[in-house]
Formats: sequence, C-alpha cells, structure tokens
Amino acid sequence: MADAKALAQERTQLFHDIIDGRIPKRVPVFVGFPVEFAIQYAGKDLVEAQWDTSQLEEIFDKVCRDFYSDLLPVNAFRFPSFYRILGARNFVMGSNGFLQHPEVEGLLQEEYDDFIANPYNCIIEKILPRLYTELDTDASTKALTLAKAFKAFQDEMGNAIMIYGKLTEKYGYGDTNFFAGFTEAPLDFVADQLRGFKGISTDMRRVPDKVEAAAEAATPLMIKAGLHPIPPSKYNATFIPLHMAPFMRTSDFERFYWPSFKKLVEALAEAGHPSHLFVEQDWMRYLDYLYELPENTVMRFEYGDPKLVKEKLGQKHIISGFYPISLLKTGTKQQCIDKARELIDILAPGGRYYFDFDKAPVTLDSVNVENTRAVLEFVATNANY
Amino acid sequence: MLDLQELTNAVGNLDEPKVLGMLKNFVAANPGIEETTAVVNACQQGMTIVGDLFDKKEYFVGDLIFAGELLTSAIDILKPAMGKESSAKVGKIVLATVEGDLHDIGKNIFKSMSEAAGFEVYDLGIDTPASAFVEKVKEVKPDIVGMSGVLTLALDSMKNTVDALKEAGLRDSVKVIIGGNPVTEQACQMIGADAFTTNAAEGVKLCQGWVK
Repeated sequence: MADAKALAQERTQLFHDIIDGRIPKRVPVFVGFPVEFAIQYAGKDLVEAQWDTSQLEEIFDKVCRDFYSDLLPVNAFRFPSFYRILGARNFVMGSNGFLQHPEVEGLLQEEYDDFIANPYNCIIEKILPRLYTELDTDASTKALTLAKAFKAFQDEMGNAIMIYGKLTEKYGYGDTNFFAGFTEAPLDFVADQLRGFKGISTDMRRVPDKVEAAAEAATPLMIKAGLHPIPPSKYNATFIPLHMAPFMRTSDFERFYWPSFKKLVEALAEAGHPSHLFVEQDWMRYLDYLYELPENTVMRFEYGDPKLVKEKLGQKHIISGFYPISLLKTGTKQQCIDKARELIDILAPGGRYYFDFDKAPVTLDSVNVENTRAVLEFVATNANY
Repeated sequence: MLDLQELTNAVGNLDEPKVLGMLKNFVAANPGIEETTAVVNACQQGMTIVGDLFDKKEYFVGDLIFAGELLTSAIDILKPAMGKESSAKVGKIVLATVEGDLHDIGKNIFKSMSEAAGFEVYDLGIDTPASAFVEKVKEVKPDIVGMSGVLTLALDSMKNTVDALKEAGLRDSVKVIIGGNPVTEQACQMIGADAFTTNAAEGVKLCQGWVK
C-alpha cells in the first residue's frame, strides 16, 4: 500500500508539472479504455455485464492490471438501465450490445423560437418527452419514471465511483481528473440532441439566424452543466467532446460554432474549471481559434499534424492524442513503438504533453492487445526528460 | 426554357432558393418529358460539382447532407413533369447499415448521392442482419450491394453478410462495396468486398464504373 501511495504521488507530480508549466521527470501516460473494451477483455458477456454491474470491479481491474497508465484508465458513464427506464431514443443498445447514439430530433425546425425564448422550459416540455418516450405521458407517471431513472443513475454511478476509488488506491494512480465534469459545445448540443446531424446541416442554410440564436440560448445551460461539484482546481478539468466543427465550412464554424463555444470554455475557466477537449476528427483549419482559449486548456487530438499543433499551441495549452490506434491493430510491435517514439520526439519537448491514443478503442478487436501493452510500457519506461 | 448551365451551377453552389425557384417556373410551363429529363440531368451534374468541391475541401460533410436534401426537394418539384419511368435507372443498389450498428448518416449521404447519379436504391435501414440482405438481393437482383458501418465491429458483420451471400449463391451476381470510418483495404480483403471507400462521392464513382 505504501508503494502504491508513493507511486500515486509521483504520478500526480507528473501531471501537476505539465499543468504548472514545469518539465516533468518523464512523459505522463493517460489512456482510457471504455467499458465495452474492458468487458470483452475480461471475457464477459457484453449485454449481461452492462446490465449486471456487480461484475464491473473485476472487469475494470483486469484492464488496470494489464495496461499501463498514470491515471485511472477505465470509465463508464452510460449504462443501459437508466436509458431503458426512460425509453431513450438518443442512446440505444444495438443488437450486438453496443450502446449507440442514433440520429434524433428532439426539437422540430418550427420550434426553434420556443427554444430560443426559453431553452429550459422547452427542454422540459417538448424535448425530453420526445427523446425519452417514457416521459411522454401524464405528469405523475412522468415524475415516477424520472425518479426511477435517477435512482438507477445514482446507483450505477455510485457503484462505478466506488470502484474507481478502490482501483486508484490499489494501483497508485495519480490524483488529477480530466473527467471531473461533462458538457458540450452549445452548437454540438443543438446538433446532437435537438436537431440531429442532418437537421443542423440543413438548418445552417435554411434558418441560419435561428441556429445562431439557439446556440447562444443553449450557452448558459452548457456552462451550468460544465460546472461540476468537485471544488475548482487547475488539476481537475471538465470534459468536452467536440463534434460538428470539422464537418462544417470554416465560415459556418466562425458564425455558428466558435462564439458560443469560446464563451463556454472561458466561463468555465473563470470559475476555476479548466476544459479538457476531445478534438475529434481534423481541426487543423481551426488551430488559430484553439490558441485563443484560456491557457492550459487540455486538448486531445484525433487527426492532423502534430508538428503544427506543437508549434502553434504547445506553449500555451496541454496537448495529447494523435497516436493512431489503427496502427495498434495492423502494425508490428516495432512499428508501433517507433510511432510512439516519433510522436514523443515531436510533442514532448518543453513539456505540456501527455501520451494518449487518438481515440479510445471501443472494442477488443480494435487493437492488438500485445502491441497496445508494448507501446504503453515503452512510453512509461523510455520517455524520460 | 431554363438555362441548364445556370441550374447546374446553382445546384453546385447549393443555392436552394435559386434552384427551387428555377424549377418551379420550369414546371409551371408544362414541359415535355424530354425537356424534364434534361433538367434532371443538369441537377445531377450539379451534384458532381458538389462532390468535386468536397474533394477539394471547400465543402464538408454537412454540405453533402444538405446537397442530398436539396436534390430531394428538386426531384419532388420535377416529379409531376417526369412521367412514369422517364429517367432510366443506371443500376440497382441494395444498401444498409450492417448488423449491430445504428449509424446511418454516411449511408444516407451515399444513398442520396447515388440516387442523384441515377441509381435505384433499396435502403434496408440500420442494424441489418445478413439474412435481410440475402432476401432483398434475391428479390430485386441488384447490380451492387452497399454495406455501411461506423463501429470497427461492423467489419465482422460485413464479412458475415458477404459469407451469407456466398452461401446463397448470390455473391457472383453482385459487386460489393463497403463504406464508413473503419473500412480499409485490408478490411476489404478480409471481408471479401470488391471495393471500399470513406468518401461517398468516390463510392458513387466506383459504382458508376461497375454499371457502365
């Protein structure tokens, strides 16, 4: 136990160093394996283990045991129980046991004005009953259903958080949390939950003023959602997975996406909560915008040019990502290690960098397990400053 | 008579008010079937411009989706003037998101672009088991089977679907194209598909090559 404690301290120091602008002893490693991967890795049934979460500790433990990471490498925040109770249409399990987000339309195009005038009321009255079919009923049944769903949510999350605590203690993970809260860029919220990808893509051309106003109207709610209950600290960040920007023209991004998103990240920073962005897809067109965000915004990149990112953002923000998990599936062990070395050579100089993959492997067969372990071991033991 | 080049450009520019305005005026003058066919072709050529601008990174996925919507609205206006079976179909495609996968944005983009290119598309929707592909292929005898998916797991379902087509003795009668985030050349070989793409416009070109 004393060893785990010392290890945790050392690991915490690595992350504090990159956040405080000091060069750490070595490149910290923080990778994440989703619950689906963990269940398959533990050889359990995907559907059963997501419903019966009493197996979760054993499942997560195997990942922690076998894959190197300086922070807790497992997490789960969507369970079928509460989505099923709500009759969710926005998170649905496929026939293979994978919980997915289908295209949904929570708000009709002709209802934009209602949302803009009072987003909260519109969500309660119109959007929730549409996204959650079991809430599309009389008031008392609705209240009971919501109570049941929240009971399930609290039970699942309570269980998961307890497991996280145990594993953190057992394996000596560092005390820095990049998933302390969760929110969405306002336009992403309007796209993902209200209008769908298709809806928003057509709305930006057919009713552009309303799209702009809706993103603005959603901003206070997104800020509120991102202010997590963990006391403000520069070492605990709110996670914001970014979605729509790479699929938009730059001129549309400038008008519909950026202003409200920037406002969100700045408001969180002002309240003492840094943001951890998953910069999904390719954002190379937008690097100058990302530069403008408050110092020490954590940015994990999926695709793009790591050299350019280091050059433009590396002095101000915390960079991560870029390591292609597809290579872990198809490459030889040596190729995989060489790629890690190449990225570290580009991204590590000057600090403000931790190692992560370009995206989380959702399924066990997304990667070759041996390559994955070899790369993580390599970085943990060789990436010294 | 409307200026066909101007219409093609308006579609390429995704200028919806202009396109729909031109088409409404055109239909109001009770055009013949031949004239209408020329107008449909002009719209389809506009979609080729959209595909090219996408390749040049001037348009992005959101624009492709809107282009599909625009074309659907255009065809709806033209339908009364088109007559029955006026536009000969260039080929048939049976299309679906494979078993286990619920994602359909990419599939729908490919669908609208291949319809714009003159294909008759039978869309089986999402989370589609291999048996549903086999039944539909038996029923409509398509030239092409298109499989879409976003999860890496979709690759296994694609392989199962090709295997099921083989077992039913149907594999040699169709070309198989796979599309979506996880598809690669290696995956294509493993699955036994004829082509793969992560770009809907390119996928349509591949299909056009097969039915020429």
